[in-house]
Amino acid sequence: MKKKVLALLLVCAMALALVACGGNNNTQQPSNSGGSDAQQPAADGGGNGEGEAKSVKVGLICIGDENDQGYTYNFIRGKEAATEALAANGINVEWVVKWNIGEDSGCEDANIELAEEGCDLIINNSFGFEPFMLKVAPDYPEIEFIACTNQASWGDGLENTHNAFANIYEGRYLAGVVAGMKLQQMIDDGEITADQAIIGYVGAFSFAEVISGFTAYYLGARSVCPSVTMKVQFVGSWSDATEEANAASALADMGCVMISQHSDNTTPATTAQSKGVFHTGYNNDMIGVAPEASLIGTRIDWAPYFEYAIGSVANGGSFDQDWCHGMDMGAVVMTPLNEDIAAPGTAEKLAEVEDQLRSGKLQVFDTSTFTIGGEALSSAFALDTDGDFTPDSEEAVFDGAFHESHFQSAPYFALRIDGIEWINEAF
Amino acid sequence: METKVPLIRLAKREGMETWKVWCIRVGSILLALLLGALVMVLVGVNPIGAYGTILSGALGKKTAIRQTVKIAVPLLGCALAIAPCFKMRFWNIGAEGQITAGAIAASYFALFWVGRLPGPVLLVVMGLAGAAAGGLWALIPAFFKAKWNTNETLFTLMMNYIIIGVVRWLQGGPWEGRPGSQIIPQFDGAACLPRVLGVHCGWIIVLVLVVFMHVYMRYTKHGYEIAVIGDSVNTARYAGMNVGHIMMRTMFLSGAISGIVGFIVASGANNTLYDGVAGGVGFTSITVAWLSQLNAFAMVVISMLLAVLEKGAETLQTRLAVPTSISDIITGILLFCMLGCEFFINYRLILRKGGHKEVAK
Repeated sequence: MKKKVLALLLVCAMALALVACGGNNNTQQPSNSGGSDAQQPAADGGGNGEGEAKSVKVGLICIGDENDQGYTYNFIRGKEAATEALAANGINVEWVVKWNIGEDSGCEDANIELAEEGCDLIINNSFGFEPFMLKVAPDYPEIEFIACTNQASWGDGLENTHNAFANIYEGRYLAGVVAGMKLQQMIDDGEITADQAIIGYVGAFSFAEVISGFTAYYLGARSVCPSVTMKVQFVGSWSDATEEANAASALADMGCVMISQHSDNTTPATTAQSKGVFHTGYNNDMIGVAPEASLIGTRIDWAPYFEYAIGSVANGGSFDQDWCHGMDMGAVVMTPLNEDIAAPGTAEKLAEVEDQLRSGKLQVFDTSTFTIGGEALSSAFALDTDGDFTPDSEEAVFDGAFHESHFQSAPYFALRIDGIEWINEAF
Repeated sequence: METKVPLIRLAKREGMETWKVWCIRVGSILLALLLGALVMVLVGVNPIGAYGTILSGALGKKTAIRQTVKIAVPLLGCALAIAPCFKMRFWNIGAEGQITAGAIAASYFALFWVGRLPGPVLLVVMGLAGAAAGGLWALIPAFFKAKWNTNETLFTLMMNYIIIGVVRWLQGGPWEGRPGSQIIPQFDGAACLPRVLGVHCGWIIVLVLVVFMHVYMRYTKHGYEIAVIGDSVNTARYAGMNVGHIMMRTMFLSGAISGIVGFIVASGANNTLYDGVAGGVGFTSITVAWLSQLNAFAMVVISMLLAVLEKGAETLQTRLAVPTSISDIITGILLFCMLGCEFFINYRLILRKGGHKEVAK
């Protein structure tokens, strides 16, 4: 009896193993050979036919994984687009991706591991990774390290550390224009009164990047709808689907007729739809999940930067230690406009404002368009040089505008302008 | 009369020969490796190559060994901390919170006393503060258990969430660095544990603790009292021991060691404080303690084994693109088999023999 059961189990196990092996031979080939070692890219390059194809091994450390449909997913999209574009230029990129890395010494380990695996370039995708990356970078001077969205490279004294961001405030401004046009249409149609044009904004934390984003959004909306005001609800998390939905719901109950967000999930969009209000998104096209509410979205496209940085490394050149571009390089893109519900003429207006932004004719933080405590802004510092977390050098206000992301890529506009009300400042 | 004999019966087994015990243990590990190989085959990885990658990734290079040791240090320290509680059959599953409490206290001195105290003194103060905070955090459930016989399992577990909440508040509030970032700044160099042989010197601290714990449990009156309470609280009472007092004393010690682990992790590994400072170590170390059967020296081996698996899993993901969740499954299988085999060492299975023969006789 015992023997029979055992024999049966063994037979099952062997059969399973055989089946799995058989299936595996054709489907899993790439991942198997991917493990061989440094020789591998050359072998892969052979497939492309180019004899002198250059190859670069790039490490990417992600805080989440591509299933988040938000922050990390956006990096993966950039990674894939850049790989394709580089391949067309004869540059072969071999990626090694680390998923779900925490902002702790595990990040240090991931950087060491990728460096030891022979990566030429290591990209850290989250703000909190930078301090741990900086512990590893000095030990590997021949490897280039990038901390996306952070800011130490201008002052850390290292040659091989880099920062990068995009002028996402440009995209926010444009999304704001779309929202403002919708609100103005509602006022003109008599659906709401002028003072009922209230935007609700779901923000992660009262962090400069978030403040800069919602201020740009608000200014965009006000440029086409002068009576608009805004309430900002901070949720205390970059990604918490439930809390984001709760915040959007609370904002709608407070009378907000337009919802926007700086957080990772699509729940603010779906909540806006169920509450019968409108929405503009971030990171992703949200029309699919909320076709009756979502007007447009904006996102950073990392492909131009990846292409630039990886291309430079492949060609043996150096590249900017602090990189920040926007619509000029296609680093900020708008997701499709929902023509079914957007106000008439939105697409034309959008194209017009986009041109003005590109040409520099329009400044998002034009100091004549906003006030702080009733007064125009005449002076604000951009950089913190002594490490006390309050900016103390480089005048950001000149030529009639606050110049965001001019002195460093990471946003530094953290001022509270009139017309925007902060709810729960605890975060 | 016909009595129903179940198909399988269990019987306590006594005094199995040592070589047999080890045969079962080795067998269970082999079984685990085989089952793990099956999982690897199912996801399309060559098992031999994968096991090789785990080993070479964890121990193949000097840098890899350093990282592995860094992972093992808190596991070992925390297993040492909970051993006396478990010996006493006091189910302290609040090591996670005690680590965090220790890390908070150490971080306070790291952030606000740097420059006011000379480097080595600062580190000692941080360590002592961590021990005191961890000990006090553990003392609270012990006090309630001793006084009102509350359930220590639930109590210690709940205490974890409270203290982790405190760290979140500190991160976003009074100790926050860049506004809105939710990140506490990195400690000044003077508040970071120096490196010895490439790894922060926390490994020396925990090795000293191994010896201390071994002596404490085996050769002191305290250790004896703990063992007696573990066997029978009534015997301990009959022998005139103050059970409540011993419980509180042991929990304080346990929490203090966890607190030191918190100090080591914050000062040595992360150089900062954040809400994941304990990172599940408080729970994983329970496995380490049980697998080692509360033997301090065995814990060194088991914590290294787990660290090898964890570091190897990372390399497996890097080199073969195997998701870390697959490695977690394999680790789970291994632990399950290793813990499960103790069952077969302690109990015997008796199969029902062919039909009604027994009854007929």
